[in-house]
Amino acid sequence: MSAPRMAVSAGGLGLKNPVLAASGTFGYGQEYAPYLDPGAIGGLVTKGLSLRPRPGNPPPRIVETAGGMLNAIGLANLGLDEFLETKLPWLARQQTAVVVNLYGESQEEFAELAARLSQAPGVAALELNVSCPNVKAGGMAFGCDPGAVGRVTRAAVAAAGQVPVWVKLTPNVADPTPMALAAAEAGAAAVCLINTLLGLAIDAQRRRPVLANVVGGLSGPAIKPVGLRMVWQAARALRQSHPQVDVVGIGGIMSGVDAAEYLIAGARAVQVGTANFARPGAAGRVAAELEAFCREQGLADVSELVGALKC
Amino acid sequence: MSACLNAKVLANELVGPDVYLLRLAAGPIAAAARPGQFVMLRVAPGDEPLLARPFSVHGVEGEDVLILFQVRGRGTALLSQAAPGAKLVMWGPLGRGFELEAKRPALVAGGMGIAPLGFVARKLEDKGILFHLSSGGATQEAIEGLEKKLGTSLRGRLECRATDIHRLFHAAQEAAELSTSTAPVSGICTSTTMDGSYGEKGPVTLLLKNLLSLPPELRPDAVLACGPLPMLKAVAAMCAEKNVPCQVSLEAPMACGVGACLGCVLPAAGGGYVRVCQEGPVMDAAALDWGRIGA
Ligand SMILES: Cc1cc2nc3c(=O)[nH]c(=O)nc-3n(C[C@H](O)[C@H](O)[C@H](O)COP(=O)(O)OP(=O)(O)OC[C@H]3O[C@@H](n4cnc5c(N)ncnc54)[C@H](O)[C@@H]3O)c2cc1C
Ligand SMILES: Cc1cc2nc3c(=O)[nH]c(=O)nc-3n(C[C@H](O)[C@H](O)[C@H](O)COP(=O)(O)O)c2cc1C
Ligand code: FES
Repeated sequence: MSAPRMAVSAGGLGLKNPVLAASGTFGYGQEYAPYLDPGAIGGLVTKGLSLRPRPGNPPPRIVETAGGMLNAIGLANLGLDEFLETKLPWLARQQTAVVVNLYGESQEEFAELAARLSQAPGVAALELNVSCPNVKAGGMAFGCDPGAVGRVTRAAVAAAGQVPVWVKLTPNVADPTPMALAAAEAGAAAVCLINTLLGLAIDAQRRRPVLANVVGGLSGPAIKPVGLRMVWQAARALRQSHPQVDVVGIGGIMSGVDAAEYLIAGARAVQVGTANFARPGAAGRVAAELEAFCREQGLADVSELVGALKC
Repeated sequence: MSACLNAKVLANELVGPDVYLLRLAAGPIAAAARPGQFVMLRVAPGDEPLLARPFSVHGVEGEDVLILFQVRGRGTALLSQAAPGAKLVMWGPLGRGFELEAKRPALVAGGMGIAPLGFVARKLEDKGILFHLSSGGATQEAIEGLEKKLGTSLRGRLECRATDIHRLFHAAQEAAELSTSTAPVSGICTSTTMDGSYGEKGPVTLLLKNLLSLPPELRPDAVLACGPLPMLKAVAAMCAEKNVPCQVSLEAPMACGVGACLGCVLPAAGGGYVRVCQEGPVMDAAALDWGRIGA
């Protein structure tokens, strides 16, 4: 049997396969160059970028938990100017789609970032982070209010011109559907979910939180069922009203079968996050395993899985 | 160049209370590793526990990488069970190692801090540089075995002085006196224990204090330290006072080991943070903001 077709069209981009590396878990790509040629995956999403550099939260910032980890990095990043100068040129030379994750403290900042990044050569798409649990202003505060998600998205879409805008949603809501619909209505090419789930780790001996920030975002295999559920909810709603808007599934993907589950739940593409820490280059392995899964299933095209859930 | 590979466990031997010496076959990592660099090692096959653990390279022998580790929690307990023949995912070498340009280096090890310094000691021996090692721990049991083990891994002799800490080293002359043609002295080691069961009683910084109060021409011209943060903080302050360059090997919880997660930071001098896995784990002590490092 011939090899299954792995190329997909998702969120306004043609991707060589539906597996991307998730924001904040793949640095600026170069960190993983000794372990994974970015050309082996459909795309990579860079660490959340703000207009000005951010030092991030005090340590400790991370702790391992059962089947996952908590992080409170606080969107530490080098800021837009430095990114454009020192990181983007290398990224632009890679044979993969470069998606820039960005974060603003106001609608205006989101728009300014979108405007400048969309002019930069090599940026395939923008991913708006309206869902970070680890910052005080913006972030999740935007992401829990459909009105704010709509406004921020509209402003970024207007500023980004031809460059597709993806919107990354928080799972820290009862139902992500209103946010997904608001983003779609405002012109997003895709909604991406999920970001991390707000959690707390306690050191019982010291009666203190483990993280300096007290709370942090939970990621890794432990959150996969939540991610699958939310992707399924969002995809079902969008299929009715905005069939042109894709869902990108994220959360706890460790293997090709995990990725297939997200596609079956309704995602057109997936992002691999924490798994990259567990094994450098995990996103490449997920892509290869997904192809093997399609072959085993006798599929001609990976897209046959999308939304194939029978229920 | 760093590599990620499935490293075969060749040996995993108990060498002290809860301390193991692990030997892994990892040619590409062995070839590239420098003293002070570390590896990320998955402690068991499969996906559990989720994250790998960071360990300093304790030594390199041919194609083998040696790791000296202490059981601290779940991950290291699992690692202590790793049997010869098992394959563990490992990537490295990672981070920045020690600069070994000094003429009279003093190595300061607090407990397991001896892990990276063992590799340093062998490199210094190769370069023909006599070193002083101050080694401190809780009890005799905790450190004597480690010192002996380090001694046997050198070609020359590690002259251990449990008590006589005042007539200290260099005096290259002294080394010459102690050396015989079959066993030249490569380093001199003095010890402290918190309970006084071996060497001087007290923290390892006691020994460093003596070294730093030697006349300038005998004083160490570099201090290379590894141990718990409070100890490193004290070492950094003592060296700063005497204007002796000090390199510290740092620890922080790590997820990726390669600079991507930004989880492993410590406060930097002049504001902001440094990543222990990238800018460290070995750093000039002056590059850190010790005032913001709780000890
Ligand atoms: C660069 C570097 C080099 C290291 N080299 C060595 C070495 O050569 N030999 C050795 O025995 N240990 C070394 N360590 C420490 C080692 O990584 C930890 O002991 C190990 O991760 C603990 O894992 P665990 O699952 O057993 O413990 P856990 O169950 O995770 O935790 C047990 C305890 O260890 C602490 N801890 C967890 N992770 C770390 C960490 N990364 N650094 C410091 N404390 C931690 C926790 O706070 C907790 O108190 C090094 C750490 C770093 C960052
Ligand atoms: C250490 C760390 C840093 C992250 N940083 C960002 C970020 O800057 N922007 C963002 O949108 N998501 C960020 N995320 C969230 C991930 O992109 C992803 O949505 C989440 O971790 C769930 O996927 P996973 O279970 O595969 O890790 C981060 C996650 C981790 C673990
Ligand atoms: S361990 Fe991930 S950045 Fe240092």
